Amino acid sequence: MSLLESLRFTRGDTAIHNLDPRVKFMMTLVFFSTSVMFLHIVPLAFVFLIQIPLVLKAKVFSEWSKSIKGAAFISGFIFVTNMVSFYYFRDGNLTWDLVEYSLSLTMRFIVLVTSFSVFFITTSPDKLSLALEKANVPYEFNFAFITAIRFVPVLADEAQTIMDAQRSRGLELDKGNFLKRIRNYIPILLPLIINSIRRSLELAEAMESRAFGATEDRTNLYELSLTGTDKLVLVVITVFFASALYARLYLPAFPSLLGFGPVF
Amino acid sequence: MGIVEVKNLSYTYPNASKPALEDISLSINPGEFVLLTGPSGCGKTTFCRALNGLIPKFYNGTLTGSVHIAGLDVAEHSTMELAKHIGLIFQNPDNQIFALTVEKDIAFGLENLGISKAEMHREIDWAAGTTGIESLRLRATHELSGGQKQRLTIASVLAMHPSIIVMDEPTSFLDPVGAEHIFDVLDRLNKEYGMTIIIIEHRIDIAAKYVNRIIVFDEGRVRSDGKPSLILAQEDTRLLGVGIPRILELAKRFDDHDTMFSELPLTSDQFYGQITACLRIKEFTSKKSLLPPDMLDLVGEHHHSPLIQAKNIVFDYPGNVHALRGVDLTINHGDYVAIMGENGAGKTTLVKHFNGLLRPKEGEVFLDGEDISKQSVAQLARRVGLVFQNPDDQLFEESVEKEISFALRNFGMREEGIAKRVTWAMNLLDIEKYRESSPFILSGGERKRVALASVLAWDPEVLVLDEPTIGQDYGQKERLRHFLTQLRTQGKTVIIVTHDVEFVAESQPHIVLMAQGKIVAEGSTKSIMNQTELLAQCSVAKPEITRLFNDLEPYGLPKDVVDVDEAYQLLNRKIEEAER
Repeated sequence: MSLLESLRFTRGDTAIHNLDPRVKFMMTLVFFSTSVMFLHIVPLAFVFLIQIPLVLKAKVFSEWSKSIKGAAFISGFIFVTNMVSFYYFRDGNLTWDLVEYSLSLTMRFIVLVTSFSVFFITTSPDKLSLALEKANVPYEFNFAFITAIRFVPVLADEAQTIMDAQRSRGLELDKGNFLKRIRNYIPILLPLIINSIRRSLELAEAMESRAFGATEDRTNLYELSLTGTDKLVLVVITVFFASALYARLYLPAFPSLLGFGPVF
Repeated sequence: MGIVEVKNLSYTYPNASKPALEDISLSINPGEFVLLTGPSGCGKTTFCRALNGLIPKFYNGTLTGSVHIAGLDVAEHSTMELAKHIGLIFQNPDNQIFALTVEKDIAFGLENLGISKAEMHREIDWAAGTTGIESLRLRATHELSGGQKQRLTIASVLAMHPSIIVMDEPTSFLDPVGAEHIFDVLDRLNKEYGMTIIIIEHRIDIAAKYVNRIIVFDEGRVRSDGKPSLILAQEDTRLLGVGIPRILELAKRFDDHDTMFSELPLTSDQFYGQITACLRIKEFTSKKSLLPPDMLDLVGEHHHSPLIQAKNIVFDYPGNVHALRGVDLTINHGDYVAIMGENGAGKTTLVKHFNGLLRPKEGEVFLDGEDISKQSVAQLARRVGLVFQNPDDQLFEESVEKEISFALRNFGMREEGIAKRVTWAMNLLDIEKYRESSPFILSGGERKRVALASVLAWDPEVLVLDEPTIGQDYGQKERLRHFLTQLRTQGKTVIIVTHDVEFVAESQPHIVLMAQGKIVAEGSTKSIMNQTELLAQCSVAKPEITRLFNDLEPYGLPKDVVDVDEAYQLLNRKIEEAER
């Protein structure tokens, strides 16, 4: 949960925030595919390290470190399961290159988390929806996407209030056996659902009153246009991706850093 | 021809046995500022939705008669087309804000209409400027306060340049100062831009100052229609349960009010302007002795032993929101306390500490001398009953009876005891007739009573009510006031969290005034209501009666008068004295 929470958009006015969402998404995809192409600690660490200046430039270091902390458990899990499975598959022969391999897999995950968290932390949902619009996603879908995001805090507040109200009426959520505990949530879920239905009716009324769907040629207050920086970034990531592809295909594979000796 | 022309309008909701609107004919001229009022369920909300065609297009049902808006027949035009002429604003701002930022939400309607970007920016500038939210343009909508959200909903509708704005209870969720802001914005639109404004509002005290016409609805019909001072003075209006401004009520107490006032006053200023002719400025007056001394003055506030004690409570919400910054408060057995202050002052946060829903970060809470930090919410709830503002946040059972017994079962009471208590609570709140009904088919006021009964049923020592008067019409408020008095005579400790100054003025609780997470003052209603600067700091409006008596001080009248009865007695003596 904390991993998802840490992906929430944080307002800012930095070069990274202001990048065109399409370009930024391309950048994320490039980091993603590069990390998938390589399974060696050196290139993966490299992709990780070049993202650090981006994090600092976007001034989202604390948000990013939160998402890394959120990912720490899964990272540890990846490392440990790899080690354990190797250990058993190799009949108890654990060599240093396998430790390195497990580390690489973990590193790959951290690279993925970093690239996606930078994207989501610095891209406002409004821009995201614009990018979707440019990609010819129907407006209704876009509207639903924005509305869903818009109502997350509203629903969270409401759920808290309902929970407080029912606890004030003596409801104890964590009492009883497993089935009873599930049943305990009925007094919270029912008002939440009924309120949501009521709310959606009101929303529909308000949409009507604000001329929703009045014309096919809907305009948009914000528009996307590529700036000089966007184009520069686009060139840089293309070059980066091309060289990564070249390295993967034509250069010899990296040797193991830790050697092949047994760990114990 | 009026900008709104309604002829023989009748409407019945699908599956309803009775029409919601019956043969309504009226005409509203451009530039009028109209208040629609009447008891809950009288049809005023339905009427507003018929103006832009939501009724019958969105709700179905059967409609006869006609509605014309700016010359357009509503039946022949879609709600979207009408949006350019009539802007409808609903009660809950949260349910009509679609975008994530302020300016994007203002643009929503314009985008839908396909307006060009340059024009959109112009309209947004104008709409945000007129409603006073230009500094918030780039803010996230979910970070706005209630008042700011409500102003945003006005701006969003305004941007589409309608000639008529219709608002359904725009100020329900706001503190009095926030409510006045909204009315100021509407007043400006009306006076400067000649817009026609139609609002539904229960806060007659504030609304009456601004509007120039009142239409009273009752059972789907127009009961009366005319100038505010005339309509509100009619005995009929009062009997319907429409809240009469206290100043008008005071004026009407005088037998010869027809000769005393050329026009019945709605505000303290109007009253003051007309009454001074009957009074003489007295140079040497003793301020006391006009009335028999108050019992309170003789014995002071009598103190029972402490029941709830909060000692230096500090509480933060996640994200470093300092909700309470050191609150010390003692509430005694049998006290009647009102916690007041602006939105976000920490009132609800404080009362949630009384039954353990929230636990202080620093400080302690004691109940009857015992530290409550070790007790569960369920244990504390038995003794401290908390009734939340919105009944819809708790009702979920299939019948009213089950709803009320829910808590009793949670507390593990025995079945025969439960049956008795449920009946007792239902009788007390006059909802016995709905025993088998689903709580969801009841009206708002009735649902509120069911929620109250569902807490009262277990007979807690302390009853805490969060905003009990919100969305309630005058008759319902009166009933609540009598009910609270009844509880107090039974020795219950009652705590209310409220913005409703007039309700407080009439029931005169001990007031605790909060601002920015602290208690800034506490004392009797009279003493608090006279501290002008303090009240302004806490966004609490002064009762009109107190405003009047503040002005009348040079005439040798005490200035700390809050209720109509006392005000009348004092003034009457004074006038007799002057005539002698």
